[in-house]
Amino acid sequence: MDEKIIKVLIAKPGLDGHDRGAKVISHALKEAGMEVIYSGLHKTIDQIVHIALQEDVDIIGLSIMTGAHISIVGKLMKKMQEEDIIDKTVFVGGVIPAKDISKLKDLGVAGVFPGGTPLFETIELIKTHMKRT
Amino acid sequence: MDLAKKVLQGDEKSAARLISIMEDGGDEGYRLIPLLFPHTGKANIIGITGTPGAGKSTLIGKLAVIFANNGKKVGIIAVDPTSMKNHGALLGDRLRMKDAENTEGIFIRSMASRGYPGGIAKATAGTVYVLEALGKDIIMVETVGSGQTDTQIYSLCNTIITVLTPDYGDEVQLMKAGLLEIGDIVAINKSENTNAEDISTDVKAYINQRETKGRQIPVLTIQAKEGSGIEKLVDAINEHFVYLSKNIHGKELKKEKLKTLMLALLREELWGKALKTWTDNECFDGIVKKLQKGEIDPYTAVRAALEIKSL
Amino acid sequence: MAVARYIKDDKDRILDVILESGIHVKPSYTPEDLNRIGFDYEKDVADPGQYPYTRGIHPLGYRSREWTTRQYTGFGSPEETNQRFKLMISHGQTGLNVAFDLPTQMGYDSDDPMSEGEVGRVGMAVDTLRDFEIAFKDIKLDKIGAGLTINAVASIMLAMYQAVGEKYGYDPKVISATPQNDILKEMVGRGAWIFPVEPAVRLIGDTIEYAMTVMPRTNPVSVCGYHIRESGATPAQEIAYAILIANVYIDNVLARGYDIDAFVGRFSFNLNVFGNMWEQIAKFRAARKLWARNLKEKYNVKNPQNLFLRGLFGGGGYGLTKAQPENNIMRGAYYALVAALSGAQTTALCSYDEAYTIPTPHSALLSLRTLQLLMDEMGLRDTVDPLAGSYFIETLTKEMEQKIEEETEKIVKYGGMIKAVSKGYIQRLVARQAYEVEKGLESGELLKVGVNIYKEGESEEVKLHEYNYESAERQIEDLKQVKRQRSQQDVLRTLKELESVIKEGKNVMPCLVECCKAYVTVGEMTSIFRQEFGEFQEPALF
Repeated sequence: MDEKIIKVLIAKPGLDGHDRGAKVISHALKEAGMEVIYSGLHKTIDQIVHIALQEDVDIIGLSIMTGAHISIVGKLMKKMQEEDIIDKTVFVGGVIPAKDISKLKDLGVAGVFPGGTPLFETIELIKTHMKRT
Repeated sequence: MDLAKKVLQGDEKSAARLISIMEDGGDEGYRLIPLLFPHTGKANIIGITGTPGAGKSTLIGKLAVIFANNGKKVGIIAVDPTSMKNHGALLGDRLRMKDAENTEGIFIRSMASRGYPGGIAKATAGTVYVLEALGKDIIMVETVGSGQTDTQIYSLCNTIITVLTPDYGDEVQLMKAGLLEIGDIVAINKSENTNAEDISTDVKAYINQRETKGRQIPVLTIQAKEGSGIEKLVDAINEHFVYLSKNIHGKELKKEKLKTLMLALLREELWGKALKTWTDNECFDGIVKKLQKGEIDPYTAVRAALEIKSL
Repeated sequence: MAVARYIKDDKDRILDVILESGIHVKPSYTPEDLNRIGFDYEKDVADPGQYPYTRGIHPLGYRSREWTTRQYTGFGSPEETNQRFKLMISHGQTGLNVAFDLPTQMGYDSDDPMSEGEVGRVGMAVDTLRDFEIAFKDIKLDKIGAGLTINAVASIMLAMYQAVGEKYGYDPKVISATPQNDILKEMVGRGAWIFPVEPAVRLIGDTIEYAMTVMPRTNPVSVCGYHIRESGATPAQEIAYAILIANVYIDNVLARGYDIDAFVGRFSFNLNVFGNMWEQIAKFRAARKLWARNLKEKYNVKNPQNLFLRGLFGGGGYGLTKAQPENNIMRGAYYALVAALSGAQTTALCSYDEAYTIPTPHSALLSLRTLQLLMDEMGLRDTVDPLAGSYFIETLTKEMEQKIEEETEKIVKYGGMIKAVSKGYIQRLVARQAYEVEKGLESGELLKVGVNIYKEGESEEVKLHEYNYESAERQIEDLKQVKRQRSQQDVLRTLKELESVIKEGKNVMPCLVECCKAYVTVGEMTSIFRQEFGEFQEPALF
């Protein structure tokens, strides 16, 4: 295995329990040859960063369905800076209106996958991004 | 160099990174081990094996919290299988260790086996050194959980706990699984409405036939999820630790295990080298083609491959 | 999302249709099919209002009573929710369906750090009785029933509903609440669980036991196959799991020494409509039959009225798409038609913008009108179960019945519903299926308009409901004020009482009502439960 294996944390921040999407993407990334850790439900930002640090994942993928993505991502970025793991790539999926995508990117998110994004697009984007870095 | 220094200072992030470097196969990771090595040797390395679904992760989570509450620093390495088909892995053990995850001083690392045989990953042994250098007193290693084949854990750890569930079946199955051969402690994880007593009798009967050098192997009934029986298990672990350090047999065993561990790593290394040599080798490709055409049998093919000069 | 798998030849002719539940659909059906399945009108179907109620629970169906329209409503502050309730009622909505925000669903107060950013976002924020007083102000609680979409802390919310009723002068005997109160489906699919299985089921038992005598018009449990289906279950699994879950709650109450006929008649169901329409219609017909048979044969229920499967059949959110959102209006209309053809007692639709966020007044009213159109314009009230006797529908109903029984048998063999949920067996199964559906959509084996076919002509982005940060801040201020004004002594006394009631294993409901009346917060009550019960350990799914 010469190609670096990509390690991903799929995290469900906050109180929302709709995890169909998070589970589906976990399976998809696994089948695409990545190593996937699923955080489980109801995680705080501190917990997510804690897991990302110990597992030294390449990617943190947040699944957010409630509409609170801007404030959640803001908090995540701040905490990542504090813990000095800002080198990890953040992707966001879930219920994300188009107008918020650029806001999320401004916060430092590498890619946004609104509900309905085909799995292969998500996989391709992650792989291309990891090749570049 | 810096990374090793930071690990010794107790920096989790550097430890996590160093483990990744080893996992990704970079030699530079393993080259740092000698810097950490002088600071290791004191921790208790505990292996937890058992059938899939026996409750290994849940048990480790509970054990870790108890150890932490007793002032110990705990490291956990949870190994999950890598898919043969697509080389991906879902690392789900951590999710079963919720309490441990939220406890100060516990470091959890999930790890995919990445094709390494024996129930652990190639980097698992290295990770044990890293975690010890990080200051962990107790390091628990959870195997893939494929029963019989989880054998490498034996050479890596001081104490092996075999976790079984009562619904696992009868004595014959137990023996077949070979799980009991390596266990220093057997924990029967009792789920609701099951006959833990029956199985414990079966297990004890089987263990009595085993040569244990005068030591009685404890067979304990626990309820990992509810957390009952775990304190007794901790006692048994501590007793075994003392037994190993005081008993001459324990010291001999340690030597034997180190050699086995080295041989296993060596085998992997040789295999990796051989594969590299064979890849894109015309002679090798020719042999495979002959095999696939049915011109030669697999054994003959192997003999021919070994003849390839550059190996 | 997917409706069925179509096997086609190279000329786009359909060779086979495989429904989600695994049934193959034939090109046509004849009396021969009825012979094949051994169709017996009296035994399999019977007249409407006759056992096994396949055709419906009332002899006259919608002629005697139109369905109840109950759009899911609630957001922001209690004031905003109250206004929206009144708007919907003024437009002819006949029931309420209260949406709570996530902090409330998870038992956190608006000022808890865990609630940050979520207060009033996906539903209304409820901290104390004050919020219910405002939300239900000037609503005739003896005339209109309220669905309370909450599960882990449904007992608290039911107590609060009684408290607000009494505050406004209604006897608990005349008010009608339908708390969702189905914790096992939260563990399977929707994730709003707090406590472990056993105490969580006990709380549901408490509400059923309490409602029996104190709030007899209340439907204490609404078993939600709906959310299990949203998580990836097939229609057959949806019904199988819903009935098995209902049985868990029944068993809890029976163990307290009650006669089944004393309570089971108040059970209701919340089931999902999206998918292949024939499969859904057959599903609902089979579900009524199987629920009645389950109660009669397994539990020996005597009163025929207690055998009724009464349900909210709602247009499923998973059927909606973010692409070309206006298509969701049409989808909603078809779902409503299916619900009507299936004899739903109560109905609701996800609004076309709900793939994005909670509905605007405009989209919520469109949904309501969609429902009203069917009853008042299209003739869906004319006759009961109009599809009965169709060779296809009767065959499919029978085949669905068999599929549901197969799925039930699998869980029984595994060791029952509680084990299957605790160990994550069902979660694993539905997550896998959800993944297969996504892959099917990607390969084109499954079709979804606007998603993988007819993608051209993307609509402009719809106008969405905006989250109001100010109202969240106001909610926190209001909570502080309530905390200042209430009697601290009463708070401490009732909370202490709650702790001992939980410890002694007594029914928590009377004490919860006292807590609510003392303006104890939802978070304060929940933290006592958390302390005594601990938290559910989510099974690792893979």
